[in-house]
Amino acid sequence: MPELESAPDGDFSVNGNPVDATGHDGRPLVEFLRDVLNLTGTKIGCGNGECGACTVLVDGAAMCSCIVTAGSMRGSDVMTVEGLASDGRLTALQESFMRNGALQCGFCTPGMLMSATELLLRNPNPTRQEIVHFMNGNVCRCTGYAQIVEAIEEAARHG
Amino acid sequence: MTVHKRRIVGNRLPRIDATSKVTGAIVYGADYARNGMIHGAILRSPHPHARIRNIDAREALAAPGVFCVVTAADIPSERFGSFVKDIDVFAKEVVRYKGHPVAAVGARTREEAEAALPLIRVEYEELPVVATVEEAMADDARLVHEEWESYEANATLVRRGNIANHTRLTVGDADAAFAGAWRVFEHSFRTNLQHPGYTEPRAAVAEWDQDRLTVWSSTQTPFEQQSTLAAIFRIPASNVRVSVPAIGGAFGGKLRIGVEHVAAALARKARRPAKVMLTLEEEIATGYCRQPAHIRLKLGVDRDLRIVAKAGRMLVDCGAMSGSGVGVASSGLLMLAGPYVIPNLAIEGFAVYTNKAPTGSFRAPSGPQGNFACESQMDMVARELGVDPLEFRLKNIVRDGDKGPTGQEMGTVSVEECLLKAAEAIGWDKPVVEPGRGRGIACGWWTMTGQSSNVFVKVNPDGRVVVNSGCAEIGSGAITGAMQVLAEELGVDLEDITVVNADTASTPFDFGAQGSRTASMVGNACADAVRNLAAKAFPVAAQIMGVTADSCSFGYKAIVSGNQSVPLAQVAASLQSGAGGLIAEGSYIQPGTPFDKDRTSGMVIPVVNSPSYHAHAVDLTVDEETGEVTINKYVVAQDVGFAINPTYIEGQIEGGVIQAIGQTMYEEIVWENGEVRNGNLTDYKMPTAEDAPEVVSILVERAGLTGPYGAKGVGEPPVIEPPATLANAVHDASGVRVTDLPITPEKIALGRVRGN
Ligand code: FES
Ligand code: FES
Repeated sequence: MPELESAPDGDFSVNGNPVDATGHDGRPLVEFLRDVLNLTGTKIGCGNGECGACTVLVDGAAMCSCIVTAGSMRGSDVMTVEGLASDGRLTALQESFMRNGALQCGFCTPGMLMSATELLLRNPNPTRQEIVHFMNGNVCRCTGYAQIVEAIEEAARHG
Repeated sequence: MTVHKRRIVGNRLPRIDATSKVTGAIVYGADYARNGMIHGAILRSPHPHARIRNIDAREALAAPGVFCVVTAADIPSERFGSFVKDIDVFAKEVVRYKGHPVAAVGARTREEAEAALPLIRVEYEELPVVATVEEAMADDARLVHEEWESYEANATLVRRGNIANHTRLTVGDADAAFAGAWRVFEHSFRTNLQHPGYTEPRAAVAEWDQDRLTVWSSTQTPFEQQSTLAAIFRIPASNVRVSVPAIGGAFGGKLRIGVEHVAAALARKARRPAKVMLTLEEEIATGYCRQPAHIRLKLGVDRDLRIVAKAGRMLVDCGAMSGSGVGVASSGLLMLAGPYVIPNLAIEGFAVYTNKAPTGSFRAPSGPQGNFACESQMDMVARELGVDPLEFRLKNIVRDGDKGPTGQEMGTVSVEECLLKAAEAIGWDKPVVEPGRGRGIACGWWTMTGQSSNVFVKVNPDGRVVVNSGCAEIGSGAITGAMQVLAEELGVDLEDITVVNADTASTPFDFGAQGSRTASMVGNACADAVRNLAAKAFPVAAQIMGVTADSCSFGYKAIVSGNQSVPLAQVAASLQSGAGGLIAEGSYIQPGTPFDKDRTSGMVIPVVNSPSYHAHAVDLTVDEETGEVTINKYVVAQDVGFAINPTYIEGQIEGGVIQAIGQTMYEEIVWENGEVRNGNLTDYKMPTAEDAPEVVSILVERAGLTGPYGAKGVGEPPVIEPPATLANAVHDASGVRVTDLPITPEKIALGRVRGN
């Protein structure tokens, strides 16, 4: 989009709001989100791209925000877990996670939700196999995954 | 007996913190921040065992952004610890493991703190390393703690040199029984070092106001932290406030103090709030992991296939601090005995110091180790005798009325029901036809930590309820379970209840989120609070209705008498204006389980409190060539007493089984010569979605004597039986018996080559 390209260096949007990343170009995106924007819904688990706790959507694609810099987001639309619900209305995925026991400690949940959101954007009717495969980069130590997979299946059904 | 359908308990209701967790609004310990906060990083020993000659922090102090450096010299006390006071905040003279904290830097940013670490000059004189339990147990072994004798310790422990506790469980005369036995079998086993693997690293923020300390941390035991911090900094416990934001998983790994004391030391010296959060590498190298164990077991049977005696020895590798290992060497003996009737026992345990990172109380501490040995051996013996492993178990298991190994009452005993249900669900009776396919089964029992739970419950004038509980929500949903008990008894909806975060300054004492106790103990305290609320509310309601107080009971958001009722909100409002509010406390103290002291020595955990019983079964396929294992179906039959919320109980079972599949099949932190060999999530692999097989949960409900509605402890048991269940099935499928965890494809393939 041309208007974004002409934006000053470091500028991008987070949950629909323009942000100024001046001076934070080299920092991991997750730190910029958490420490500068105070959006602590995005978690840091491993900090190495290995657990998926920090997953956000960048132009609709799930990405580990611990291994990309804030500066590299220029011109992009970033969405975090805080951006899912609008006007207090939860998304179908958030609702089905709640109903299906898909969260226990909840620390993996923001990352799980963001990955699952991308999956359903791309593939509104995934098979169980496709869900399991797509979610394989997000570690959950509490649930054993079954209830997460069921929640995604249910959200897809009732979308 | 009429069974009333219950409104709240027994129902699959969403947990009370669900909304804040799916929106990202909830604040975890790792998210917590204070204005003006500095960040800490820990300098850790590069040597497994060394004497500290000198520490020079001048250069680090001059580095950009650095506010302070703290070392042992900044800690007013010597050592702390729950059973043995053998832990120091920072090493004073001797470092005892690679990773032992030596100093910490507080700086404006985490990066600046980390950058200053190498500027602290430490001179070490390396000492010989005690790398294994065998070395530690040798007669001429070098001592990990030279001054062990001067350490304060729990009086039950039997200590000597590198042995932090020597335990014994003795029943009858095992030697004589073995001499008279028809057949005697002996086997050895080894278990592995597994990290709890919680996704939120350990983190804490500390702040001082004069000599008053506040700590925000995702701890399972705020009251234990409070007293530990008070002892470390030599201040009254009342001057320490520990507040618990949300916990991002713990599994016992956040039971004991982890980083709170370091944050407090930095904040004290820098005179500003300080945060310490561990990196993944620090977590893997220094987390409170499950102790590895070396186990030998001897079993004697008579011609009727009854067990006549069991003897054995368990070496528990505690690492450099004894921690929970002394307890593991106690409850481990009960796990090795297993849920069987055995007239003669001679089992001993050793909690052993080595120059490795200290271990902890990971979910069902001692359960997987002991059960792996006990239940693998049951299978091995049955196969050698040519009998069905299920039948061999059924011949020897405990049943209602039997006593436990230390003479304890065993509650409502359901191990037979669990075994039969698990066997049926896996198709035990049907022949296996495919090559490489096999089945395994195992059973066990587990304890529920008791002690006391207390709550304050307040009904607001709008009829909504606020609960102050000193028990944190560890993640399992157990607090939701306890609140279901409250909602049921008080006649409100679950959504009407708000729970205040555990905080030693405002919430009443609780023994902590541990030992499968939370839903039952906090639930019981809530039920007690409802009785006390009734005592206050019923007279007021009775007056309004013109009836007697003893005719009143709680109805749906109302107090009812005959066909009259008055809204709960109205009673609460009238008490608020007239008598300080509708508020009551509730308490529950779990009575101890009596046992025969003469049978035990050194056993700080001599009984299985309020036991739960369980059986697991699995159907799997082993690749003939590679040894790769595919789990086709996994079944858990677990006696939960009463299922307060089946969804979260299934979540505990599924999550526990997958976590334990990790331990059984691949997770292992490998220490060699005092160093960790695999300190990242690629080399230390935890199960992901594709690794998780189908897990079928069968909830057996034989009401126990302790929990609300007969509930039994739920959270820990699911990790206990998977190692033995899987080992037994791998043997059934491939003919290879693996007795040392993890059961990797290489071990199976090698076993096959060797014709094992
Ligand atoms: S924190 Fe980014 S992948 Fe783990
Ligand atoms: S819910 Fe705890 S890590 Fe997934």
